[in-house]
Amino acid sequence: MGFGDLRSAAGLQHLNDFLADKSYIEGYVPSQADIAVFEAVAIPPAGELFHALRWYNHIKSYEKQKASLPGVKKALGKYGPADVEDTTGSAGTDSKDDDDIDLFGSDEEEESEEAKRLREERLAQYASKKAKKPALVAKSSLLLDVKPWDDETDMGKLEECVRSIQADGLIWGSSKLVPVGYGIKKLQIQCVVEDDKVGTDLLEERITAFEDYVQSMDVAAFNKI
Amino acid sequence: MAAGPGLGAEELDLLEKSLGLTKGNKYGVQGERKTPVLQTNSGPSLTGLTTIATHLVKQAKKEQLLGSNAEEKAIVRQWLEYRVTQIDGQSNKDDIRIILKDLNLYLEDKVYVTGNNFTLADILMYYGLHSIIADLTVQEKEKYLNVSRWFNHIQHYPGVRQHLSNIVFIKNRLYTNVH
Repeated sequence: MGFGDLRSAAGLQHLNDFLADKSYIEGYVPSQADIAVFEAVAIPPAGELFHALRWYNHIKSYEKQKASLPGVKKALGKYGPADVEDTTGSAGTDSKDDDDIDLFGSDEEEESEEAKRLREERLAQYASKKAKKPALVAKSSLLLDVKPWDDETDMGKLEECVRSIQADGLIWGSSKLVPVGYGIKKLQIQCVVEDDKVGTDLLEERITAFEDYVQSMDVAAFNKI
Repeated sequence: MAAGPGLGAEELDLLEKSLGLTKGNKYGVQGERKTPVLQTNSGPSLTGLTTIATHLVKQAKKEQLLGSNAEEKAIVRQWLEYRVTQIDGQSNKDDIRIILKDLNLYLEDKVYVTGNNFTLADILMYYGLHSIIADLTVQEKEKYLNVSRWFNHIQHYPGVRQHLSNIVFIKNRLYTNVH
């Protein structure tokens, strides 16, 4: 479970989709689950993500009561749709930086000298580490949802077709079948691509070319490695 | 209209229970539209759903349900009026569609009718819409997604639903990928 990277557009899109028919992350009252996710969202969602924005503004209105809301905060991976992984914080710099984006932050929590020094040290370390390996090939990990026409579509054959697509810089990973209802399953498959060589457009074109099996395909998650 | 909860007296019983009032007032009805009437002990009788509902809220000492500031109070009153004048007695399918469409748009950026706070407007809009929403098809519920979300939220709000049927909302994930 999770929303992908909540600091990326894709993550907010997941959040938006998830909240389309819900008022809160869990149940029917605001809870620590909302606060946990709220704190992970660094910037207010854009206007077109109106479900996410509605939720964001609503949770913001609980700012003063946030400590008294029921529930216990859990890891972000415990919330959200079952078919999306939580990657918030794993893609960026080190996760300690999360603490800097505290929207409820009060003035009392002044950063101590010690913490400041430590943070600067880490930043310097990170910068030097980054400088050492500049020639890295940009890669992305993709999670694709491939949907069949109906429950009679041979999913084994469908997967075979998808895996038969070969391109320079494209590596297929693990896959699983996820039930979507009425006995229909969709294929969820992971792959790693080199950004410069393979684009999602190309993948979509190639996969939907198997039109006997594939009804549609979309990208469930997109993460830079 | 059928014997839905939209009928005044019955609905006021529901409201009393959800407000935690145990006394149980007796209501009369008046006129062709069966406007509810409440005879109070102390003063003149109260007529009309919103008048009595407001009185009950004050009796239960839950004034925050009427709105916590001037704007919110105005919005609550506006929606109570809307409820009584636009939704009650509505049986024309086209008119209902227009109501749901407008409401869907209105609720797009709101969790409760007034925005962020639960009020009497949510309760009475919920009671008033219950029989309408119960008749919707799965596709329609999905079409009025924001209304469905709000409705589902309110029916799960502690104490509101009482004996009314729980309406089930399923998001059909097969067809929702048309972005």
